[in-house]
Amino acid sequence: MPSPRLASIALVALVALATGFVLADQIRAQLLTPSNQVARYQALLRSVQELEATNAGYRGQIAELRSEIDALEADAAARSATTQSLKNQVADLRAHAGLVAMHGPGVQVVLRNGVAGPGPGNGAGYLVNFEDVQDVVSLLFAQGAEGIAVNGRRLTPLSAFSGSEGQVVIDQGPPLASPITVVAVGDRNRMSDALGDQSALPDIRAREVQFQLQVTFAGSPDLSLPAYDSSLQIPDVHPA
Amino acid sequence: MSTRLRGARRTSRISGVSVWLIALLVALVATVQIRSQAEVERSLVGVDPTSLAFLIDDLHRANDSLSAEKGDLTQRRATLQSGGSGAADQVLTDEAVRLRALEGLIPVHGPGIVVVIDAGGLTALDLEDALNNLAAAGAEAIEVNDRRFVTGIPIIGTSEGVAIDGVVVVPPWRISVIGNVDHLSDVADLMSQQLRADRRVRSAAYRVEADVLIRSVISEKPFVYALAS
Repeated sequence: MPSPRLASIALVALVALATGFVLADQIRAQLLTPSNQVARYQALLRSVQELEATNAGYRGQIAELRSEIDALEADAAARSATTQSLKNQVADLRAHAGLVAMHGPGVQVVLRNGVAGPGPGNGAGYLVNFEDVQDVVSLLFAQGAEGIAVNGRRLTPLSAFSGSEGQVVIDQGPPLASPITVVAVGDRNRMSDALGDQSALPDIRAREVQFQLQVTFAGSPDLSLPAYDSSLQIPDVHPA
Repeated sequence: MSTRLRGARRTSRISGVSVWLIALLVALVATVQIRSQAEVERSLVGVDPTSLAFLIDDLHRANDSLSAEKGDLTQRRATLQSGGSGAADQVLTDEAVRLRALEGLIPVHGPGIVVVIDAGGLTALDLEDALNNLAAAGAEAIEVNDRRFVTGIPIIGTSEGVAIDGVVVVPPWRISVIGNVDHLSDVADLMSQQLRADRRVRSAAYRVEADVLIRSVISEKPFVYALAS
């Protein structure tokens, strides 16, 4: 008697197991789309990382080439007064173009993401965006900045800001994210006064209140700016 | 009697083990599925795939520019290595002209676009955004109503209107831009559409020109505070 009972229990267990497998397979099939999404997302992330590594490699090579060119020009200038005069002119132009590392008095501004919450800006109002950086940079230039770097990226006369939510892209550099540090060398007092003025940077001030976005700044008697390490090509421009 | 009891106990133990096994299996399957879903959600937090795709596009373009710059610098180094002071003079003269052009110190010309915006009530921020968009699209030289613009030139709002480097630019704004026409047109197209949707804007249009002439220049300002490191 016990053996038919045992057989029936085993049969029930088998049917339950089979049902479980069929059910699991069905659920897995439904989850196939998200799994593909994950794979695609990871592939995109890998591409970004590889491109960023290439980007950093190029910038390193460019900085090295500029240094070698400078040394070769210095050698030539040591042998000719005309070359020396030209080199002096170019040195000044390079400094104004951001191609030379510089230092001097200035201010350091730090922008940090706030806390997510409801409000304008598609829910991204708590993130530091490229427009915030652009606004701070414009204010500093208007108040006597002679050179500016953002997270170690030196700005040039051709610099532009772009990016998506929470990401800041400057020129040909990799994307930057909070905390963003803006270092400006120039008229320290004017820049500090402007940054302390509550009527300046209205959008940032409003989000400081709404999302606890953080903006801090400090003056310093000596700040350093690196040289620009990317492209300054202007293939379409010709002297008139 | 005792044999039957032992058999019944054994059967009940086996069925208990079977139930436990099935329960364990179901729990295992459920855990695998829940973990899989949680992983999907966790990895999708952060930058969305569309933004990543744009980022990849930007990085490709950036790396192309960097590669071109590297090629140019390699060429310049080779010229300096092969020649004497004559070669150095030529390299330095060429660079001086290029830097003066990009710093806005000399008049320039080249292919580009001209954007005309007629509006009342646009602010300094509006103009800054427009010029930044064009710069991000690869503008190599910009002029607004005969005022040269490069990054670092202040654009501020005054009681009389928007001023570039202290001089008010009265609408309509005529923005002349030299650079890659394809990239500039894409941005100008989008910008014009957005501006036309703005109630303050009477008209916004752009045209492509084979040769845009920018005559205005910026006066050179010596550094007062900054020193070369």
